[in-house]
Amino acid sequence: MTETWLLRNLRAVKGRAYPRVIGSSREPSWVIFDVLLPLLTVAAYAYIYKFMKAPEEFVGFVILGGAMTAFWLNILWSMASQLYWEKEIGNLSLYLMAPISRMSILAGMAVGGLFETTLRAVSTLVIGIAVFGIALSLSNPVMLIIVFIVTMVALYGMGMMFASLYLLFGREAYHMSSLMTEPIYLASGFYFPVKALGFWAAAGASIIPITLGLDALRQLFYPSTRSEYGFLPMGTELLVLSILCVLFILLSKLSLDYMEKLGKTSGRLTLRWQ
Amino acid sequence: MSRPMQPAVKTESLTRVFNPKKKREGKSVTALDSVDLRIERGELFGLLGPNGAGKTTLLKILSTLLLPTSGKAYVAGFDVAKDFQEVRKRINMVSGGEISGYGLLTVRENLWMFTQFYGMKSAVALKQIDELLDLFGMADKKNEKVRTLSTGQRQKMNVIRGFVTDPDILFLDEPTLGLDVNASRVIRDYIVEWVKTRPEKTVLLTTHYMAEADQLCGRVAIIDDGRILACDTPENLKKLVKTSTMLKIDVTLLDDKSPLNTIPGVEKFTYTDDPASNLTSLKFVLQDESAVSDIVSEIVHSGAKILGLRKTEPTLEDVFIKMVGKGFE
Amino acid sequence: MNSDLRTFKNAAWLGWQMEANWTDPFLFATYSVVKPLAGTLILVFMYLVITHGETETAFFSYMYVGNALYMFVADVLFGVTWVIHDDREHYMTLKQVYIAPIRFSTYIFGRAAIKIAITSFGVLLTLIFGVLVLHVDINLGAVNWPLLVVALGLGLSTLAIMGLALGGVTFLTAKHGMGINEGIAGVFYVLSGVIFPITILPGWAQSISKFLPVTYWMEGVRRGLEPGVMAQLGPATGLQGFSDLQLMLILVLAAISFLFISLRIFKYADKIARRKGKIDWTSAY
Repeated sequence: MTETWLLRNLRAVKGRAYPRVIGSSREPSWVIFDVLLPLLTVAAYAYIYKFMKAPEEFVGFVILGGAMTAFWLNILWSMASQLYWEKEIGNLSLYLMAPISRMSILAGMAVGGLFETTLRAVSTLVIGIAVFGIALSLSNPVMLIIVFIVTMVALYGMGMMFASLYLLFGREAYHMSSLMTEPIYLASGFYFPVKALGFWAAAGASIIPITLGLDALRQLFYPSTRSEYGFLPMGTELLVLSILCVLFILLSKLSLDYMEKLGKTSGRLTLRWQ
Repeated sequence: MSRPMQPAVKTESLTRVFNPKKKREGKSVTALDSVDLRIERGELFGLLGPNGAGKTTLLKILSTLLLPTSGKAYVAGFDVAKDFQEVRKRINMVSGGEISGYGLLTVRENLWMFTQFYGMKSAVALKQIDELLDLFGMADKKNEKVRTLSTGQRQKMNVIRGFVTDPDILFLDEPTLGLDVNASRVIRDYIVEWVKTRPEKTVLLTTHYMAEADQLCGRVAIIDDGRILACDTPENLKKLVKTSTMLKIDVTLLDDKSPLNTIPGVEKFTYTDDPASNLTSLKFVLQDESAVSDIVSEIVHSGAKILGLRKTEPTLEDVFIKMVGKGFE
Repeated sequence: MNSDLRTFKNAAWLGWQMEANWTDPFLFATYSVVKPLAGTLILVFMYLVITHGETETAFFSYMYVGNALYMFVADVLFGVTWVIHDDREHYMTLKQVYIAPIRFSTYIFGRAAIKIAITSFGVLLTLIFGVLVLHVDINLGAVNWPLLVVALGLGLSTLAIMGLALGGVTFLTAKHGMGINEGIAGVFYVLSGVIFPITILPGWAQSISKFLPVTYWMEGVRRGLEPGVMAQLGPATGLQGFSDLQLMLILVLAAISFLFISLRIFKYADKIARRKGKIDWTSAY
């Protein structure tokens, strides 16, 4: 019945991704919200830049930032804090009892939600560009793909690390995710060049992969703004992101194991209604 | 395969203490206190105890969800603390009153999803699922969304989830809790059949339904306040109280029962009041049969009418009452 | 009446417990400070990048105050509907509250009231920060208190009433349904002159803005709180043609209209939810 470790965990990824994929198709109302909602915030910020007669690139920055919020929110709400809700529903103990890596469960959640998330990001980008008449120039599509993939791997690695904290959290889970929404939008420069925060603040914020990922994407789409608004040279940003990839995946494994052990020792791992 | 010649479950001085996060939240609770248990492969083993006895805590440790405070626990020869991944490959657990599962998925999809965590090939898993759904009378529900199921149907689905991965050791934590007679019977019958047709498989069943343990289990351990009070076959356990006489008397509603406790020869007694029917049922464990006349006199003296009187064969509940001094409220 | 008061009080108490006792007081206080400020600072930095540090302008004060006030809109509209979603999907207590001999709408108002109270703290903190650190132009001596109090009261009441309608809609939607509420709050954010005057919008959008009660609420509260700023901006806000009294009358009309509409929507949604068995369904995946 049981296969090799790798095959078992791949099946687990498939198994956990399935409810996400099926859920999306059975309750399709998300399409409207995931397409329209992000546009509203993007529109508000775009109009404010227009009112302030900001350079045209800033509207582009806002649209790119708005597109990337899809991934950040997916990490916070559909991955990290999801473990708390799984606990409340009673699924968490079943997952933890199964002979699979916890990272497989989280990877399954991520993969399953990828379609929704990507659709949200792409629609924000496309509609934002169309509505505001933005021109994006892309001279290096290969670099774009590399930057995007590396950013996502690092980001989802960080998401797994966060998820480990939620193994122990009670209702703090929801509030912690809520707390990390706007502050991260601010610190990571979702709607303005992160360079504006000053070097050290931006450097500190770079621990969040999306900071440098977004900055690199902006530099790719608006190469003429690199010197004025880019935080670090793109090569440096890519290198840091690559290091963060490895770091977060390692940390997430250690953190998941540690938090699970802590939860089993304290008895809070399956304790509901905390 | 489990390690050869190893029991299915073994615990050595297993202890689990829960400490509150903050002092003001209360005192420490010792949920398990030096539990020594050995369950051989192929057994259908029962763990009987009232609410708060430590049954679920023990199961959580054995299913690797909780670490012991001290002592050791082995499942299929593997240490639950150190070799938990090996343990997990060989077990599954079903709890009574489970609400797990995703409302948006169908029954079949929900069950399939969990099989994937155990490395089952989809084709094999789906075949197993369909067979079990049929056996449990749920074939017509397989494409229904989980959220449309009744409590009994949901619990059946959860029980199927436990069996479908064909574990070496299955932990059933009050699997028939809150279910009606028919649903309970279907589940019990399947448990017995499963163990009978698979001599290498083991089931550890916790319950506070005495009749269930009596009917199903080859051996039963009685647990209370985290300690194992007795562990033997139901027949041998009942012999522990056979030297005493069991007496059951039904009377009209009796307000003051305290004098009955002081009658010489009465070892233990419990009662159940039914005000709606104006009835009190009294159950006595007697050291000396001569106490019967004193009991009858006391009841008559109190003004109550005796409606029925009989000597009963000891049940597991009687065993429990003798050991613990209370029934299962 | 007593029963409604009791329900309101208990719902508010429950709301406070849900909001506050998830962690220790220090962390809760930190959360209550950091979250509203961070949201505001996004706009501040956006502004500073373009203007290179100049905050002592009428527009900055306009934008800052509007963004602070918007917290009420977001928190009340989203927060009230989250209550139903949370109670139904996560804690599974909705059905027990629902079948209790209380008016469920009163329960929702109670939960909304505590949201407003908690958000008020965040709004106040944000405004104080703005005045002290960023030189936002709020002069306590120049505040038009009667206008401010009336506008604030009417607006918050209208928001709570709107929350009731959205709460009813939440009965009928799966977990995505929270998107409706975010969407409506988002529409207000773009179209109600929250962070920029409605005159920047295309003509068709401005027409919609003038139908939204939040537009007049923002205008009314700003006129009360920062009359000097509003005088400087003048026709740029798009609502200079309305007198203070007209604004208040519009708000009163909006409150009454929404009370009627929301109750109808809620009743209808309630009936449909009961018919379809959605009071206690779960839709998590």
